[in-house]
Amino acid sequence: MIRTTKKTLLSIAATIFLVSTVLMACTKQEAAPSASNGTAENAAVTTEKAITLSWPRDIGTMNPHTYNPSQLFAQSMIYEPLVSYKAGGKLEPMLAESWTISEDGKEYTFKLRQNVKFSDGTSFNAAIVKKNFDAVMKNPNLHSWLGVINVLDKTEAVDEYTFKMTLKQAYYPAIQDLSLVRPVRFLGEAGFPDDGDTSKGIKKPVGTGPWLLVEYKKDEYAVFTRNPNYWGESPKIDKITVKIIPDPETRVLAFEKGDLDLIYGEGVISMDAFKQLKESGKYTTQLSEPVATRSLLLNTTNDKLSDLRVRLALQSGFNKQAMVEGITLGLEEKADTILSKNFPYTDIDVQPVAYNTDQATAYLDEAGWKLSAGKAVREKDGQALELELIFDKTDPIQKAMAETMQAEWSAIGVKLNITGLELTTQIERRKAGNYDLDFWSNYGAPYDPHSFINVVAEKGWGVAEANAGLPMKQELDQQIHEVLSSTDETKRQQLYSSILLTLQEQSAIVPISYIKKTVVFQNKVTDFAFPANRDENPFEGINISQ
Amino acid sequence: MISYIGKRLLAIVPIILFAILITFVLIHVSPVDPAEAYLTAAHIHPTEELLAEKRHEFGLDQPLLVQYWHTVVKMAQLDFGLSFMTNEPVWEDVVSKMPATVQLAVSSILFAMLVSIPLGFLSAIYKNSVIDYFSRGLSYFGASIPQFWLGYLLMFFFAVKLDLLPVEGKGTWEHLVLPTLTLSLALIAIYTRLLRASVLEQLQESYVIYAKTRGIKQRIIMVKHVLKIAISPVITGLGMNFGKLLTGTIIVEQVFSWPGFGRYFVDAIFNRDIPVIQCYVFLAACLFIICNLIVDLVQLYMDPRISLKGRTDQ
Repeated sequence: MIRTTKKTLLSIAATIFLVSTVLMACTKQEAAPSASNGTAENAAVTTEKAITLSWPRDIGTMNPHTYNPSQLFAQSMIYEPLVSYKAGGKLEPMLAESWTISEDGKEYTFKLRQNVKFSDGTSFNAAIVKKNFDAVMKNPNLHSWLGVINVLDKTEAVDEYTFKMTLKQAYYPAIQDLSLVRPVRFLGEAGFPDDGDTSKGIKKPVGTGPWLLVEYKKDEYAVFTRNPNYWGESPKIDKITVKIIPDPETRVLAFEKGDLDLIYGEGVISMDAFKQLKESGKYTTQLSEPVATRSLLLNTTNDKLSDLRVRLALQSGFNKQAMVEGITLGLEEKADTILSKNFPYTDIDVQPVAYNTDQATAYLDEAGWKLSAGKAVREKDGQALELELIFDKTDPIQKAMAETMQAEWSAIGVKLNITGLELTTQIERRKAGNYDLDFWSNYGAPYDPHSFINVVAEKGWGVAEANAGLPMKQELDQQIHEVLSSTDETKRQQLYSSILLTLQEQSAIVPISYIKKTVVFQNKVTDFAFPANRDENPFEGINISQ
Repeated sequence: MISYIGKRLLAIVPIILFAILITFVLIHVSPVDPAEAYLTAAHIHPTEELLAEKRHEFGLDQPLLVQYWHTVVKMAQLDFGLSFMTNEPVWEDVVSKMPATVQLAVSSILFAMLVSIPLGFLSAIYKNSVIDYFSRGLSYFGASIPQFWLGYLLMFFFAVKLDLLPVEGKGTWEHLVLPTLTLSLALIAIYTRLLRASVLEQLQESYVIYAKTRGIKQRIIMVKHVLKIAISPVITGLGMNFGKLLTGTIIVEQVFSWPGFGRYFVDAIFNRDIPVIQCYVFLAACLFIICNLIVDLVQLYMDPRISLKGRTDQ
């Protein structure tokens, strides 16, 4: 028996060892290319300019017409739009050289660039543009969130390089919508599945963009090189390696080790880590222009919050500047306006609500919410001024801000209950209007300002629901519908100014801070500039000093 | 023996059915609608029309019993549906990610055994000596330190400061070192103390004194008799931990960007990727049952006093 046991144990140990060795051997050749390895190996033979960066998620299937799991920044490396969104909301030609819009605002005719080729060498022309639009329109439901898809009536390839799009009704942001990273960018013929339905998948990622996906290991890394057939100015760097590192702290350690040249994005590393890297003086750090506004939604259908004075009291009752500086360590900037001024039509004069607790208590007294002697919470008709703020419990900034507001508002006699929720539950409660206060942020470029005003008017997103108690809601909705279909630029500006002023004065959407993108890079990286489009890749113009 | 194994394998069926039922019930009592979770994960605005369409597609408009039956039948064919996140078959994803996790689990168990068996054994024999104090300190450290923090510490010293090993990723044997150390330290803590206590217990047994009086060499008594019996609880622990490692390397995989099953599952939880969660529960149940069975069979060989009858009667 002893002998048998010994044998069994030995064979178990040998099997484990063997399996382990085989597994190790199998994976030995699959080492992910890293900045340091790559540099060491290649230094002797080539002067290739390469950068390595990290991304929290796998880049995905690189289908230009679908959403998750494809990552926007990577899709924008391979596929291009007809028009490009630039700083300040300027729309510039990309695959379309020019375009004309009919007087009634329904017909859009695009003159396509003629020298454009897909990465496989095939030509870009009106037929392939139509084919891509057709593929998108096969599943209009999937894209119903996008204004231009909802109003698209038909598309035509007029001649080889002329493409026409007809809308059911005038919709001024149509061109801006076409600058998005998805779903209207162009896949080459060779990428289409046999039935043409790209919603189920594509054969291979063939685009007109400056980059080619040459190596990919799901959840590990992706390597992009320059597209030799690129029509525009070729990128200055030869190769970009994207390493998938889901953990923010690991990302920082890999960067400090020199395995990464760049960490870019929104919330990709903790604010502490960003500050520490910045203060080390060894690296370059930058903050983008505001990409969106972190706001508070005040549910005006709630009896207490339907009173403008209560909403104004809440807004003036907390020190926004101190809160933003303290919690975001200066990575976000105090916001006075609901939309930052770097979007089209948003550069208007508004009177910010200043931090003033005396003013806040005066508003509450005026509204009838009195603080009785010996009590900490204001009351009116026997009811306490008690409100609930819901927040995403996995978001450390929302949590810290909720706690700060709880403390600040208790000083003016408002009891704030804070409830941390899972994101899906938070969204569900927002849409159902089942809350008093909630965190929210707008969509950024190139979606805003038209996407923002759209959700103020249209139910289903939670914002229109929150604003439903505003006395001028109907008028506001009418102005929003008018501006979206207006073909007159001056009138649009007037309407936008009026809408944004009303919202600002009504204090139902309280701006807190401007969210910014961060980037940290090794000093050898030069010419880095944040893209104007929130979702685009940042590699245009980027270079490396050798 | 074969009938024993057969019976144990058959017992898997009701346990798996129960595990599926539990996940099924939990998903249905959860406030999150799977159709909505899918659309949210895909970044598609969930209009009522789309929700209805997806609910129909997922069979969520069917009576609960029918849905449960469909789930069971599909799982029996290893069809776990498509992942909400990747839109690819869950089983294919799992199969492609499992080898990385198995590799990590095997190397961790192996390393833990290599360290803890001699350490536990020696610290029992040389009780209250330097080696005993060392093993006690190591166990205390290993059992109390959070794994993610240990991972960062190792990464900081060995990868960033000393530049000896890579920070993250998978590929060469060097990539395996730090995650293995991180995972195995907690195991070493348990096994060392377990073995030490077990050896000390055996040393009090009369068969040891009898062997000594028979003049058998101390080394032979210790290795052939004491260690052979004392190792039994460690093997039990090993079996349980192997299952746990295969399903629970989540934090370490996340910290070291190890592209295994654990990381895939973390993403699934955050994104409410229900098909993946169901597959995970199914696999976890199977793995634990199989590991338990293997442990029992090994114990049976190691200690003839354990009878098959006794086991099945319990």
